[in-house]
Amino acid sequence: MKKFIGFVAVLIVTTGLLLVVLDLLYTQVYLHSSQRGKIDYVYNSKARNYDVVILGSSRANNHFVPQLFEEKGLKTFNFGMSGGHLFEADLLLKLMIERKYSIKNVIIETDLNLSNEKRADGISAKFLPYIHDSETIEQQFSGEPDFIELYYIPFYRYVEFDNQIGFRELYNTMRKEPTSYLTNQGYHALANKKGRMKNDLTNLKPIHNKYYEGIKRICAENHINLIAVMTPMCTNVKGMDYFEKVNSIYPEIHNYENAVEGDQYFSSCGHMNDAGARLFSTRIIQDFFSKKQ
Amino acid sequence: MFFNSLSFALFLPIVFVLYWFVFNKTKRYQNALLIVASYYFYSCWDWRFLFLLVFSTFLDYYTGIQIEKSKTATASKFWFWLSVIVNLGFLGVFKYYNFFAASFSELLNGVGLQSSPLLLNVVLPVGISFYTFHGLSYVIDIYLKRIKAEKNFVDYSLFVSYFPLLVAGPIERATHLLPQLKVKRNFDFEKAKEGIYQMIWGLVKKVVIADTCATYANAIFDNYTSMNSLSLILGAVYFAFQIYGDFSGYSDMALGMSKLFGLDLLKNFNFPYFSRDIAEFWRRWHISLSSWFRDYVYIPLGGSRGTKLKQVRNVFAIFLLSGFWHGANWTFIIWGFLNAAYFLPLLLTNKNRSNLDDVSLHWDIHSLKVFWSMFSTFLLTCVAWVFFRAKSITEAVDYLQRIFTNQKFSSQYLDNERYSYELLLMITVFILVEWNSRTRIEPISGKYSGLKLTLCLAAIIALGTYSDYKEFIYFQF
Repeated sequence: MKKFIGFVAVLIVTTGLLLVVLDLLYTQVYLHSSQRGKIDYVYNSKARNYDVVILGSSRANNHFVPQLFEEKGLKTFNFGMSGGHLFEADLLLKLMIERKYSIKNVIIETDLNLSNEKRADGISAKFLPYIHDSETIEQQFSGEPDFIELYYIPFYRYVEFDNQIGFRELYNTMRKEPTSYLTNQGYHALANKKGRMKNDLTNLKPIHNKYYEGIKRICAENHINLIAVMTPMCTNVKGMDYFEKVNSIYPEIHNYENAVEGDQYFSSCGHMNDAGARLFSTRIIQDFFSKKQ
Repeated sequence: MFFNSLSFALFLPIVFVLYWFVFNKTKRYQNALLIVASYYFYSCWDWRFLFLLVFSTFLDYYTGIQIEKSKTATASKFWFWLSVIVNLGFLGVFKYYNFFAASFSELLNGVGLQSSPLLLNVVLPVGISFYTFHGLSYVIDIYLKRIKAEKNFVDYSLFVSYFPLLVAGPIERATHLLPQLKVKRNFDFEKAKEGIYQMIWGLVKKVVIADTCATYANAIFDNYTSMNSLSLILGAVYFAFQIYGDFSGYSDMALGMSKLFGLDLLKNFNFPYFSRDIAEFWRRWHISLSSWFRDYVYIPLGGSRGTKLKQVRNVFAIFLLSGFWHGANWTFIIWGFLNAAYFLPLLLTNKNRSNLDDVSLHWDIHSLKVFWSMFSTFLLTCVAWVFFRAKSITEAVDYLQRIFTNQKFSSQYLDNERYSYELLLMITVFILVEWNSRTRIEPISGKYSGLKLTLCLAAIIALGTYSDYKEFIYFQF
C-alpha cells in the first residue's frame, strides 16, 4: 500500500506540475498576442491617441462606423464587443488609461446593458490570461464568486473557458491566425434584415450600474468627454418605456432609440444593418462633433 | 454523479480509503461498505429509484432461493417466470410503454381510427437495463442449474448494485463476479496501478476523444440538411468515435476503478474498429451485452444449429433485441436490423467465425486485404451508426441519401465554429495509439510509462472538452 500511496502522490504532483507548466505556457502565448481581438489589442499595447473611443456591446460594435468619424478628422476606434456587458467596457477603459492612452471622447452605449452588473463570460474570459499580470484585471474580478478558482487554481481559467482561451484559441494565437475583430477600426457591419423584428423589453429593469459609474469616474478623472447614448431599436418593441426608465435614473444618457426608423435599416430588432449604422453614426457626428470641424 | 465529475473525484478516494484502511478486516465489512457506497452513488441520480433497485434486487434474490428450493418443476417454473415477468415488466413500463402506446396509436390512426395514446409521464431510471439484465442472468442460471442461489443478501446486492457497473455496465455474470465477492480482497499494488492507468486512459477516451467528437458530430447531425457530402461522411465517422470513446471510456473507468478494490469486471470492448468483418465486430463491441444475448437468447433458440432458416431467424432475433434494448425507438431497431443484415452473408457462407485470430498488418498483399476488410467493416458500422444517432428513420435515410446526392467535398464551417475536417488529425493519432496497444488493456503501461502517463494527463487537462459538458451516452439506456 505504501508503494501505491507513493505512486498516487507522484501522480498528483505530476498533475499539479502540468497545471502550472501549461498555465505558464498559455499565459506567455497570450502575453505576446495583440492581433486576435480587442482585449489583447489593448492589453499588449503602448500609448495610443484617439479622438473617439467607442465602448459597449454589439449595439455599439454594429452601430458606430469609425470610418465616418475619421472622414471628419477624428481618430476613432470601435471597441464595442458583441455579447459584452458594462463590466468588460469598464475594464477595457481602465486598461487603456493604464497604458496611457490619450483619449478625447468616449462614446459609451448604455441602454440594455444597464440592466445588470454581471460579467459576460464569453467576453470577460479574454481578460483572464492576464489576471496574474495585471492588478487592474485582478481587482475587477476580485468580487466575482469564482475569483478564488480563477486566480489560485493553475490552469482552471483555461479549462473553464475552453472555447474562449483554451487549446484551440492558443493554437490560433500561436499561428497568428487573423480575425475580423480589428478590421474596419473595430466596426462590424451587419447584413440586411434576417432576424426577427420583435423585441420584448418588459422584463428588463435599468439599475444604478456600478460599472457605468466607474466609467463616468474614469472619464472625469482623466478629462475625457463622456457621451453616453442609447442606440436605436426597431419599431416593434414591447416595453419601450425601458428607455424612459433609463433616463429617470441617468438623465445624461442621450436617447437615440428612434433616431433611425424603418425595418429596412435593421438586421435584427436590436441591431442595425450597415445602412442604419451609417445613418446613426452621421447623426451622432452631427450632434456631438460638428462644432469641432 | 458522473465518473468524470468533481464529486466523483471526491467520492472514489473516500471509498478507497475506507475500504482499505477501515473496512478491510473481513470480506463482510468490505462488501458492506461497497454496498452502502453503491446505494449512495445511485441515490445521487434520483433517490426515489433506489427503492426500485432494492426491490428488483430482493425479488431476484428471493426467487433465486425459491427456484433452488422448489421440489417440483412447476414450482421452479413459477418462481422463474415470476422473476422474469416482474423484471421485464419494470423495464416495459419505464422504458417501452410509451413507445408501444404511441406506435399502437399511430397504427390505429393509420387505418383511420382516431386515437390519442395514453402516455406515462415517467423518467427512465438510470441503469435499469443493466441491473435488470444482471438479475435476469442470475435467475436464469439458477433455473438452468448452472449456479447455486446466493444466500447472503449483501453479497448478492453488491453483485447487482456494485457502483462501477451499476449505471452502464459491463453486464456482469454471477459466475464471474459473485465468487470474487465471497472472499476477502487483499491489496495488490500492480493491479491497482493497472487500474489507475486504465481509468486515466478511459478518461482520455471520454473527455478528449468522445466529447470533442460530440461537438462536431452534433453540429453536423443537427444541421445535416445544410451539410455537403464530405461533412456528412465526417459526421458519421465522428459519431462512430464519439460513441466508441464514450462507452469504451466508461467501461475502462469502471474496470480500472474495480481493480482499485481488488475486483475484476468483464472486458467490454476489444478494439472493435479493427474488426475484419461484422461478426468479429460483435465479438469486440459491448462484449458483455453481446455475450448475454448469445447465452440467454441465441443459444436457447438453437444458435447455429438447425436449418439455415432457423439460424437466420436466431440471428435476426438477437440483433433486433439488441437494438431494442438500446432504446424505445425504431431507429435502434433498424440499427439492429442492419447489423443482422451485415451478418447474414457471413452466416450463409459459414464465415462468421473466420476471424478469430489477432489482427496484424505487414508490408504485403495479404495485409492490404486485411486493411480493406477493417476499413469496409468500419464503413458498414458507420452507416448503421447514422440510424443509431438520427432522431428518426426518415432523418437517417435522408442523411445517407444526401451523402450520395450532394457530391460536394469541400470543407465546411460548422455551428461549433470549427471546420468539418479539423478533427481528423486527432482521430488519426487516436487510431495509431489504439493500434499499437491492441494486445494490451491500456496503452500507458510498459516502456516509457511515465512519459505516456504525463502525455495522457496533459491531454486530459488541455484537450479535454469541459465547457460543453456531456454525460455518458449509455446512461440513457
